[in-house]
Amino acid sequence: MSPDDVMIIVIAGLLSTSCAVLGGFLVLRGQALLPDAVSHAVLPGIVLIFLLTGERASLWTVVGATAFGVLCVLGSDWLRRSGVVESDAALALVFPALFSLGILGISRFASGAHIDLDSAIYGDLTFAPLRTISLFGADVPRSLVITGIATVAVVALVVALWRPLQAASFDPAFAELAGLRGRLTGQVLLVAVAGLAVVAFDSVGAILVITFFVVPASTARLLTARLGSMLVVAAGCGWIASVAGHGVAVSLDTSIPGTIGLTSGALFALALVLAPRRGLLARWKART
Amino acid sequence: MSGTVTGSLQAGPLGGLLESLPLSYPDAVVVVGTAVVGFVAGLLGPLAVLRQRSMFGDAMSHGTLAGVAVAFLLTGAKVPELLLLGAAISATLAAFAMIALERAGRLRSDAAIGVVLSVSLTLGIVLLTGISDSGNAQQSGLDEYLLGQTAGMVERDIVVALAGAGVAVAVVLLGFRLLRSATFDPGFTAVAGVRTWVVDAASTGLLALAVVLGVRTVGAILMVALLVAPVVTARQLTTRLAVLLPLSAVIGAVCGAVGGLVSGRAELPAGPVIVLLATALAVLSVVLAPRRGVIARARAGRLREERGRVAR
Repeated sequence: MSPDDVMIIVIAGLLSTSCAVLGGFLVLRGQALLPDAVSHAVLPGIVLIFLLTGERASLWTVVGATAFGVLCVLGSDWLRRSGVVESDAALALVFPALFSLGILGISRFASGAHIDLDSAIYGDLTFAPLRTISLFGADVPRSLVITGIATVAVVALVVALWRPLQAASFDPAFAELAGLRGRLTGQVLLVAVAGLAVVAFDSVGAILVITFFVVPASTARLLTARLGSMLVVAAGCGWIASVAGHGVAVSLDTSIPGTIGLTSGALFALALVLAPRRGLLARWKART
Repeated sequence: MSGTVTGSLQAGPLGGLLESLPLSYPDAVVVVGTAVVGFVAGLLGPLAVLRQRSMFGDAMSHGTLAGVAVAFLLTGAKVPELLLLGAAISATLAAFAMIALERAGRLRSDAAIGVVLSVSLTLGIVLLTGISDSGNAQQSGLDEYLLGQTAGMVERDIVVALAGAGVAVAVVLLGFRLLRSATFDPGFTAVAGVRTWVVDAASTGLLALAVVLGVRTVGAILMVALLVAPVVTARQLTTRLAVLLPLSAVIGAVCGAVGGLVSGRAELPAGPVIVLLATALAVLSVVLAPRRGVIARARAGRLREERGRVAR
């Protein structure tokens, strides 16, 4: 394997770790589709910053994208709390509208300005090692630095808020009564998800965002019964999918994010059938 | 205008209808086409929204990509009807996978949708990557299914969409009572001796129909809005299913027609314009609707409070 290949695997693995950790909470809270919505909703933020500054990969881009990600989360939450619209319909209303704004912005003002919709959606993980920044005199891939920082930040956040997050995920009412600020914790989690979805969108593209947040966490949910071990297993699934998916993509010469997604799906299918207690086979045996 | 010239050249079975509109022929094709697509999505959207399955449409529309790619690989040519058939099959498979994961796998619906969405999208991307690397000259334009495209719409597309609309209206009319009881009281329906999986399968098939018709126009990513937004608008204005279905269909058709027209005039992509229009209507109705609107509710709440104070 060339150093570039190793770099791609490390970037994907780091990102899958942080996504799996937050994704675990989202799966338990029934909010698994939020990252997918956010990853589409950030488009107008990216376009807006491009129109204002002419840059499409600056710190401001991340700020603008995150702002729209948070807008998507808060907007759908407002619709849901208005009691008129169910939470799934609220999400389905907000993110296509924001994505539409982004597409209109591109086609109206920025066509030919190299905001490449394809790379935004399919992801350009393949080229991630080529976009470098210099850090302490050495050239380091930008995505590696960003995903590294994001992963450390996410793990630190989860460790710091472990008790309230745990309580708010399993029993929101208890979390509120026990003084653990369940609602505030939930909002902190959602903002963290929005930020991480932007980072993931930037480094691996929209298609892997939904995969990394949902699939490893759902796999781990089938295999474990404790929150801590669930998050560790989820991160492990993410790394296995990154390594194996990259291998398959190289040998078949196809899209790396695509095969990483399919490998995650294959791991999930295995767990669904074979998981020791919650698997289909085990439950079928228990019945007969 | 050149429109009449091309019109007389291409006029098919719908030539008379299209020429009766005060529009150039290409504009008329787009407007009628998007209106029919909006109508079908609005009519069938309640099957998803009222059962809290709004995001089903998202996974199904992403699922069409793999079907389109497989149909193209098998036939080696871009025959629109065959691509549609492939899209319909894979969208239906995606829907059944989600229902199976929920029922047999005991997954929560959001996780089931997420897993299916992820797998069907990445499968579609891998297949499309394979096709575009194969260098087949016919392949250009298959990505349009992701973002939608109305510019290439022809009369044949409208005929297909009208046929789909006919099927949808017929099934909804014939099965209305069953649909109603299965939507609002699945428990009762099951106890009453109806096989719920039949209703489930029928409504899933109808949703796949709506998704497949719409996905080429507005694209896989935006399709879900076309299913959900008209229903939310209509739901704010009525409480009866018998009114909700046609109302939401008409709202969808109007959004489609107006959006198609505006996008043609302003030279913008049609999908986003239609979606923004439908969403704006939905948000307006959520805020302003006479009884269920946010403002009306806040006012009713304040009124009740004041009355309470006076009574005390």
